[in-house]
Amino acid sequence: MFTRTDDKITTSQAAVFLTNTVLGAGILTMPRSITQEMRTPDSWLTILVGGFIVMLTILLMVKLSQQFPGQTVFQYAGRIAGRLPSLLLCLLLVVYFILVAGFEIRSLAEVTLFFLLEGTPIWAVIIPFIWAGTYLVLGGINSIARVFQIVFPITILVLLVSFGFSLRLFDFNNLRPVLGSGVLPVLHGLKSSVLVYTGSEVVMTLVAFMQHPQQAVKAMIGGIAIPFALYFLTIVFVIGGLSIDSVINSTWPTIDLIRSFEITGFFVERLEFPLMVIWLMQMFCNFCSFFFQASLGISQLFKFSVTPVIYGMVPVIFLAAMVPNSIQDVFALGDAIGSMGLALFLMLPVLLSFIWILRKKGLKQHV
Amino acid sequence: MSFLSSVVVHIPSWSVFCQALIALLVPILVTRMYKKLHSFVGNGRNLETNKTIQSSVSTPEVMPFSGDYQTDLQAIYSRIGSNSDLHARELPIKKLNARGTLFCVDGMQNERVLNMRIMEFLMFEATDGLLAGTVKSEELLPFNNLSKVSDIDIFNRSVLFGHAGLLIEGIPHGLLIEFPNGTNRSITEPVSEALIRGPRIGFSEVLSENTSLLRRQGFSDQLEMKSYRVGTRLQKDLVLAYMKDIVNPDLLQEVQTRVSNLNADFLADSGYIEQLIEDNYLSPFQQVQNTERPDRVINALLEGRIAILLDGTPFALIVPVTFSMLLQTPEDYYERWIPSSLLRMLRFGAAFVALMGPALYISLIAFHPGLIPTELALSIIETRQGVPFPALIEVLILEVSIEILREAGIRLPKPIGPAMGIVGGLIIGDAAVQAGIVSPFLVIVVAVTAISSFSIPTYSAGVTLRILRFIGMIFAAFLGMFGTILFFLLLCSHLTKLKSFGVPYLTPASPFRATDWKDLFFRAPLSLMKRRPAMLKTRNNKRK
Repeated sequence: MFTRTDDKITTSQAAVFLTNTVLGAGILTMPRSITQEMRTPDSWLTILVGGFIVMLTILLMVKLSQQFPGQTVFQYAGRIAGRLPSLLLCLLLVVYFILVAGFEIRSLAEVTLFFLLEGTPIWAVIIPFIWAGTYLVLGGINSIARVFQIVFPITILVLLVSFGFSLRLFDFNNLRPVLGSGVLPVLHGLKSSVLVYTGSEVVMTLVAFMQHPQQAVKAMIGGIAIPFALYFLTIVFVIGGLSIDSVINSTWPTIDLIRSFEITGFFVERLEFPLMVIWLMQMFCNFCSFFFQASLGISQLFKFSVTPVIYGMVPVIFLAAMVPNSIQDVFALGDAIGSMGLALFLMLPVLLSFIWILRKKGLKQHV
Repeated sequence: MSFLSSVVVHIPSWSVFCQALIALLVPILVTRMYKKLHSFVGNGRNLETNKTIQSSVSTPEVMPFSGDYQTDLQAIYSRIGSNSDLHARELPIKKLNARGTLFCVDGMQNERVLNMRIMEFLMFEATDGLLAGTVKSEELLPFNNLSKVSDIDIFNRSVLFGHAGLLIEGIPHGLLIEFPNGTNRSITEPVSEALIRGPRIGFSEVLSENTSLLRRQGFSDQLEMKSYRVGTRLQKDLVLAYMKDIVNPDLLQEVQTRVSNLNADFLADSGYIEQLIEDNYLSPFQQVQNTERPDRVINALLEGRIAILLDGTPFALIVPVTFSMLLQTPEDYYERWIPSSLLRMLRFGAAFVALMGPALYISLIAFHPGLIPTELALSIIETRQGVPFPALIEVLILEVSIEILREAGIRLPKPIGPAMGIVGGLIIGDAAVQAGIVSPFLVIVVAVTAISSFSIPTYSAGVTLRILRFIGMIFAAFLGMFGTILFFLLLCSHLTKLKSFGVPYLTPASPFRATDWKDLFFRAPLSLMKRRPAMLKTRNNKRK
């Protein structure tokens, strides 16, 4: 077949999709949010532990989704748990996706207004961004995945180069002592470290779009391993470069790290400019992913056609982005989203798998 | 209670709701308009629905030769006899004791051949075997390009197109004995795609010459050419060329359907075909490549693509096309791989500058001077001191005048062109700076942008980037760096949606095809390129 008519994505596209969904605002704020909880330089340990926990949950979600080939969680939840309870659960998931989309776009607007466009009204940043996202999301999962594939290598390259240059500030003593206050702070920071992996819930819909769903485990673990590695690098370089005291006091520690040194004789003296550029593109991907998931959820739950749902989603996301009154509110919303993600994880994949196993193995029902 | 009050605090004000409403309405309206426009333009194209229309047009009442010489002659004269350039030479055929008439049009036949050979043969040598068996009769005529026509209208049309036509008493059909042989331009070097190293041959306006140029590229029995008649009023020949054992049959089918559904009364140039068969006619990007170079066409055929050649134009079309193809030249393969790869990357860089240069200037100067090195920013701002316009207007003044200059340069007679370049480029640029209308730094930016867009090998792709550059400038003028990035993302979104005959436009970058990356930014050594592009899903993947 020459022209593809099925809306499926390849394995590598699925991996990049997951990466770009998870890699969002966290890359700029994560060092602060975790270190604030812990107050020790051990946050890199927390990221590692949190990453492994997230990988396990992803494994569970993939395994569950693989039982229902070609179906997203919005479709198979009803078959497992019954129409009404699953509708409530999935609606919760959709609300969650909308909130995350709103949160991401709001943090983007805050960063843009702070660093690039001082004095511009906030709607002038948010609305064009949502419109651009609408244009992409209307193209379906294939277009989205392709844009992700373009943005992804640029992101990785610029991030690694920026971190590489920041090595001149890197002081290993900032990362010591390891486990100076025992294991407790690590466990304490675990909650906020799981938060930075917000968005891994898309696994439950992504597997349905894969051309080769049997490779889903590989794709999804690969997809989460990249943000996992990048977060780890970020936290090591930011804390190693800035020390925990300045990290706790800074709003966007990663940008502050990159701003704090100059490369003389280069066209852009400070790498903050390329970093901002790729971060904005990354946020676009991130936002489009949640936008798409939320629209998909509504359209599949209520059997609407997806195009009007996407249009309808525009004002909803805009309002969600405008709800926080200040930047403190934005971060509070971020924390709330994290807790909600945790609760959703308990409710959706764990509960669904539990019921599914119970019905399949215990009651021998055909689901 | 406190929970309730905190909820109330966070309910956005009414103005935010108004903005939300606007945010909703604008995309809906834009889509409406887009769809309207799409169907409005689409009505004229009739890609799918015109099959019935065409068949009704192309079957007018058939007017067969009656077999009676006098009647047929009368019929021909009554239809086309009033043309003053039509020559009808009545000649007695001695040995048959029959009459015949030779028709031809001024300037389309070699007079000497007509006089010497053909007429001599007919008048004195043709034997009565010619009339004996009516079926085999044409085999007895010693002409190479002989064809039998049983319809008077087709006979007339062919004669007027330049064939030499023959009507012989006793034969119940017309004979076309010589191909048109009008004056042609000689084969010259392609004007729009010059190379330093490589074949200097370009297509000409004659279809048979063009196909022969393709044939002469090498021995093969797999190069197939299928001929079509296109156009409803003035018909023309069109040839699809492809490698039979390589091309994907589904792709071939698709191209054949689109070509046979062409609906226009006259196709003046292959550009007409391009516009009538492309996938998305509202996109600024071309989805069909046009080229004057036979070597480029044959290379494309060997990759599994299909070429469309039209009579009367030196531009052949290649489908499907991807964006990267527009930035590659055949020379990339003729030179050694290291310089070719570097030049190719340079071209990609140039395309980026041609697209984004002025937008970046506007966003850096007007919005974020802090992002460039301080000394540079200071010196730029210093030179801009006397400029009375905002950055956008300043850039627009210079960009628009450069575009006018360029447009004028194309239309001017050759000897004046360079002179105007000097007057326009050097003198006006210098004077504009002296007069304080623009800053000298901007002159550099605009000049670099213009030169970059010259380095794009495909002219039409360069034009696309020129148009998009202005849109990028507007984005930058409103939202600075943020707007520029938004513009880039929109462009990416558009390009990923775009397809050329089913092949995604950005392949192999996205969807990612690792094997095709050998020939993207990079031109791998030839010994490594043993496979045809995966994106074309060819029948025969290995190059052997």
